[in-house]
Amino acid sequence: MIPKTVLRAAMALLAPLALLACNAPTPSVKAAAKGVVNVYSGRHYDADEAIYRDFTAKTGIEVRQLQAPGDELIERMKAEGAASPADVAITADAGGLWRLQQAGLLQPIRSAVLEAAIPARLRDPGGAWFAFSKRSRVIVYQKGGVDPALIQTYDSLAAPALKGKVCARSSTNVYNLSLMAARIARYGPEKALAWAKGVAHNFARDPQGADIDQIRAVAAGECKAALVNHYYLIRMAASPDPSDRATAAKVGLIFPDQNGAGAHVNYSGGGVAAHAQNKANAIALLEYLASPEAQALFPKLNEEFPVVAGVPLTPQLQALGQFKEDDLPLAAMGEHQPQAQALFDRAGWR
Amino acid sequence: MAIEALSATPPRAPPTPLRLGVWGPQVLAALATFACAAPAAAVMIQALIAPRAGGGDAGRFWIDSVAGTLALMIAGGGVAIALGIAAAWLVAMCRFPGRPIFEWLLVLPLALPVYVLAYAYGGIAGPGGPSPLRVAGPSGAAFVYALGLYPYIYLAARAAFVSQSACVLEAARTLGARPWRAFWAVALPAARPAIVAGAALALMEIAADYGAASYYGATTITTGVFRAWFSRGDPALAMQLAATLLIAAALALAAERRARGRAAYGAARWRALPRYRLPLLAALGAALSCGLLAALGAILPLAWLARSALLAPPGAIAALAPALSHSLMLAIGGGGATLLLSAIVALAARAGGRAGQAALLAAASGYAAPGAVIALGALAIAASLRGLGLIGGLTGAVAIAALIWTYAARFAAAGAQPIEAGLTRITPAISGAAKTLGAGAFRRALAVELPLAAPGAFAAALIVFVEILKELPATLILRPFDFDTLAVKANEYASDDRLIQAAAPSLLIALVGVLPIVLLSRGLSRARAGGP
Repeated sequence: MIPKTVLRAAMALLAPLALLACNAPTPSVKAAAKGVVNVYSGRHYDADEAIYRDFTAKTGIEVRQLQAPGDELIERMKAEGAASPADVAITADAGGLWRLQQAGLLQPIRSAVLEAAIPARLRDPGGAWFAFSKRSRVIVYQKGGVDPALIQTYDSLAAPALKGKVCARSSTNVYNLSLMAARIARYGPEKALAWAKGVAHNFARDPQGADIDQIRAVAAGECKAALVNHYYLIRMAASPDPSDRATAAKVGLIFPDQNGAGAHVNYSGGGVAAHAQNKANAIALLEYLASPEAQALFPKLNEEFPVVAGVPLTPQLQALGQFKEDDLPLAAMGEHQPQAQALFDRAGWR
Repeated sequence: MAIEALSATPPRAPPTPLRLGVWGPQVLAALATFACAAPAAAVMIQALIAPRAGGGDAGRFWIDSVAGTLALMIAGGGVAIALGIAAAWLVAMCRFPGRPIFEWLLVLPLALPVYVLAYAYGGIAGPGGPSPLRVAGPSGAAFVYALGLYPYIYLAARAAFVSQSACVLEAARTLGARPWRAFWAVALPAARPAIVAGAALALMEIAADYGAASYYGATTITTGVFRAWFSRGDPALAMQLAATLLIAAALALAAERRARGRAAYGAARWRALPRYRLPLLAALGAALSCGLLAALGAILPLAWLARSALLAPPGAIAALAPALSHSLMLAIGGGGATLLLSAIVALAARAGGRAGQAALLAAASGYAAPGAVIALGALAIAASLRGLGLIGGLTGAVAIAALIWTYAARFAAAGAQPIEAGLTRITPAISGAAKTLGAGAFRRALAVELPLAAPGAFAAALIVFVEILKELPATLILRPFDFDTLAVKANEYASDDRLIQAAAPSLLIALVGVLPIVLLSRGLSRARAGGP
């Protein structure tokens, strides 16, 4: 019994090895003249792949990348220390930039290109990190299910009028943590906690799923309003799945706090790694990310807002209109995130 | 002539390697213990020296997390155990329409990672999905655990039922026991060790799962580890939680070993088993319930994934070729290393003694630990090795080696179990005969025990292959540059809510996993002592 089955399985298992032999990547051969730049990225979008491909085509510098959740990448860089192969570190969240900097994993650089292109508020004064794209945490609501006038602010989600009508994803999610951190920075921990308690009290269901799930729940009427990043709704409206498009059509979008501090925005960004071995290439990549061509790809491929002025938006982003954004310093989000999680936990926002 | 042959052979002394015969197994067991426990130990030590963050609610946090995990184990694990045993009994002991197909169809959920099941049911039975029934919240997590993990119990219980002594069952029947009574009074108690072993795997998977628990917003020890470490910046609290898991797994295993004691189970059976012929209605009911289970556990989610994958832009599947080859490479390479470690653990456990116990407990705690914790431990070890100047950064071969070690530490328990079960085929009489002929422990292991245990090892290889294929958190943290696997791609898209793009890699994981799993199922269903 054994030999036959074992043999058959062994063959089935070994066949792919032969395939591998022909398929094995040979980066060192390709990375000839201009060298490489090694990117550790907490972002995971096809848009980034396209941007890196463009960069390689323009400069001849090969981009090697490792994508993983931001905090895990930080742990990895800490463990690797001076031997870390990372040249550039990129995070999907402004808090991540702060944590990278606090852990001493970034080095300050001077670049006239970056300093000219990126507004001062969106880069570290010392040149340790630079923001490259922007997203807003907005309120989505069921059209016809709730009066939009009732949900024009983040505070309104905590109001008694919305009891049993609010959906949110887990508080562990970094987008929620950054929003809460911003509220702590702006209004202080007591008010932030009271707000989180109010929202949690209004939950139609326990927090679950990701942003898209909140949109679906709103469209289905399981709740009337939810907090999501703006681009998820745009993406659903353009989805190849007809049921996604139908879902998106039932949902409206509000930029909150337009008469107050402005809608919460969060940034993706990056910097040169502390122990970069290809520092010149790393700076070249960062400068490319701030170039008009690359900046145009963030809206085009990912429906994120660019950070450089004058870059064209997609019709979908233009349709959202101008909005007032909260202009807190980016570092505030990183600084207050641990406290944000502790307060969320106390508020019962799971 | 016989006398001549005897006199021509010099009197057999135990093979010379001095005291290796005595110390060899001990040393190997110690090495295996180290390999399984070192990453977890490293991360604990690191956390102990980390400064404590504030936050006065640590106790509450710990209680909530433990309670959440226990609830999921009871609900998800309990249903999985019931489903697994029931399905195994029907398929092994009864005749009904479609039985030969269900025999392997019921194993298929094992090819789907539970986090993929969670995403699929998020689409099927989430808001706006086609299902009228909602799968949501922590009970949604329990639902996918039950469906995704019952095959562990099903496989183990079925193998046990199939290899039971027909004589015992016939004796029960002669004494007037109806099938139900034969099941409760004879078959189930005899299959207990196998069922407990399968259930232990399922329960440890539930404890260590991050993907499905976080998707359904369940508060568990594993999600708590992430929440404490990364969101609250409190590694010490994270490690208290992880330690809870490791210690609980080790204690549970020790308790099970003690309860089992030295009782010998599973008398070998030498002839085919008479299956109960079910009355028409019961037969139809059996076919329907097996069909429903297979549909919910595998067919429906697979169909949903296929539908989503078809909506993806053309070329999306072809673009997965490198990820596919990386997945296969890791599953084969990592599988080989894990199998080796599993074999050592199983042999050490069989040899008994403190060393064997330690190896077994270390392996069990590795399996119950969240993959990310073991991976962070491997990072910490890599950092110390780098401090000693032994290795550089985690690139290329070093990263792969760290990853493979993590797989081995994580999954040695899953492999050790079938190997150990295979080793029980080696009766004391056989080992005794080898001993009488002068074979030392090593020689007995190589020449007698390993060949007899080969089917168990084969089953272990298949399980470990599929486990690594599905593994996500450690692969994410430790892989080298430009080295995506199918699981990594699936997660990359799913974590960005691009579920259509996530479908193709998820489907590929399932398709690659199906063949080994069906082979596993076939191998186990033929595991009768007198079988062909």
